[in-house]
Amino acid sequence: MKKTWTAVLLTGALALTLAACGTGSSSDSGAGSAEASAGTTSTQAEASADAGSTELNIYMWQQYISDDLIANFEKENNCTINLSYMSDNADAINKLTAGGGDEYDLIMTCDAYMESLIAGGYVQEINLDNVPNSANLNDTYWVSKGYCVPYLMNYIYVVYDSETCPVEITCYNDLLDPSLAGKISTIDGARNLFPIALIALGYDPNSTEESEIAEAYEWLVQFNANVVAYGNAEQNLTNGTASVAITYDGNASWAMAEKDTIRIADFTDDAIQLGIDLYVIPTGAKHIDLAEKFLDYICTPEVMAANLDEFPYSCPNDAAVEVASDSYKSDPARDFSYKENVFFQEDVGEALTIYNDYYQKLKVGE
Amino acid sequence: MNGKNIVSDGMSAPRKKNRIPVLAMAGPVSVWMVLFVALPMLYVIYISFMSRGVFGDVVYEFSLESYQTILDPTYFKVVLKSLKAAGITTVACLLFGYPLAYIIARKPKETAAKLVTLIMIPFWTNSLMRLNSWLLLFQTSGPVNNFLTGHGLVREPITFVYTDGLVMLGLITNMLPFAVLPLYSTIEKLEKSLLEASADLGADAVTTFTRITLPITFPGIFSAIILVFIPSLGIYTVTDMLGGGKVLYIGNIIKNQFGSIRNWPLGAALSVLLILVTMLLIFIYTRFAKIDDMEVV
Repeated sequence: MKKTWTAVLLTGALALTLAACGTGSSSDSGAGSAEASAGTTSTQAEASADAGSTELNIYMWQQYISDDLIANFEKENNCTINLSYMSDNADAINKLTAGGGDEYDLIMTCDAYMESLIAGGYVQEINLDNVPNSANLNDTYWVSKGYCVPYLMNYIYVVYDSETCPVEITCYNDLLDPSLAGKISTIDGARNLFPIALIALGYDPNSTEESEIAEAYEWLVQFNANVVAYGNAEQNLTNGTASVAITYDGNASWAMAEKDTIRIADFTDDAIQLGIDLYVIPTGAKHIDLAEKFLDYICTPEVMAANLDEFPYSCPNDAAVEVASDSYKSDPARDFSYKENVFFQEDVGEALTIYNDYYQKLKVGE
Repeated sequence: MNGKNIVSDGMSAPRKKNRIPVLAMAGPVSVWMVLFVALPMLYVIYISFMSRGVFGDVVYEFSLESYQTILDPTYFKVVLKSLKAAGITTVACLLFGYPLAYIIARKPKETAAKLVTLIMIPFWTNSLMRLNSWLLLFQTSGPVNNFLTGHGLVREPITFVYTDGLVMLGLITNMLPFAVLPLYSTIEKLEKSLLEASADLGADAVTTFTRITLPITFPGIFSAIILVFIPSLGIYTVTDMLGGGKVLYIGNIIKNQFGSIRNWPLGAALSVLLILVTMLLIFIYTRFAKIDDMEVV
């Protein structure tokens, strides 16, 4: 009898350990890479292009690309796409910098890290001649052109439930109002929240001055007192746990579609953040030909327009937005009059450590 | 433990040919332990003495910075808070688990087996599912709040989610079986004749419990303490999901260092601290509980 219980307990303990290790699990099915290159009549002269790849390994956010798009690409190109998912921007940076980037052919990251990634030699130059549809992309949103292809964009909006929100929000400082105690639900991440604090204080949102970052930390300490939860921002708004949410525009769209009392805060002066999610080809990637085909495919206006119906984020592909559905175009999250007043997350280099340390302190300090 | 004894016996054996069966028996286990337990642990200790690069990479220069950071009051507070939470979880699991195990152990064998199965059944569901269901139950527009407001018990919905209270509930419900099972197996062994003898000699129920039952089932209690305390000290999924990123224990801090904050040496140093606490507990256990009664662990 006792032996049985020991076994049961050990199994339970093992399961618990596995559950704890569960985040960031990948679904890639290993790399059987070179098999496809046999017997090809390659027309491509590029040295690195492995003509006729049948496998594409992509690392990106979950719930961020249409299954149909993936399936159609697989069918058209007779290949298999292995999608693995990250749970934090840092995961992608870890993959690229700590080794292991070459297990993937495309990795999603954002504009803020591009400078350092290029400087560190972690990403490859992309031959845009092989991605002709990239001409549809608006150059305004294309940082580090030649090393990445932008996918979707995110405005970071402050949205609120007009039924339950006790104050009018027209600037970031309104978020410190004591009546909002325990009513704000926000996205997580140092580089998402510090710029908000820096703007509220009138500083450069990408400051590298420790004194300014320290002041922003003090601002965030006050803000933190009003926060009920980090993460799942729009869900907490729609289920009534929070009455204000700081979230990405696509998530704002979902929230507004679910509950019609939800609005985007009408800011008078404060700039809002625009982040661009983009694909890079990591150094050492094995299926560059297919990666370029995929990039070209997602830049095709009709393909992207269909994808936007499912994932209603802002899009840097002007031609795709033009042919997008009316429901996408008339979405209040798209039609935001302060869109001009935006700022980008820039690469802050070594100051990233300062941001991270203060952010950790914020979360630990209570 | 047994494996180690066998190895050392083998070493001291006079004749060489005796070693082969010993090696065959203990060899694979030893290789496994070295490869998958000792080496990773040494690597963690090694990393904890290194420095951090700008990109969150590990720079291989000796540094005690990570250990100095742990002593910083903010981190130290988290360590204490985690120890306290794990302590409360353990006490609560014992308080609920002991009577439950006692009741089950006193039932006829078949009923007892069924009851134990009932305790295990929730564990056939993924723990993330179970945690999510707590969130759904207790969220502002969830069934619990709807019931309370619907029956006029409270005017405004109560914020249960993302609080220390809900995190504790999650921890206790997650850990309870790990207390009940070892308790059950020791209480089950308890001879009824001892209790009868105690009663015959004039002891009342309380005296019998404190003088007979409790001391005899002590090894089970200690196993329960270890099985509950150690995992609840390190588990971060419960706090992540039910605490909404606002309730942070040491497990979350470690996870963040290897994830979003990207300070691997600090994460490693905190892990070393956890390993030390664990080893201390095991040491106390082997010291004070009799080795013979260690079968459960």
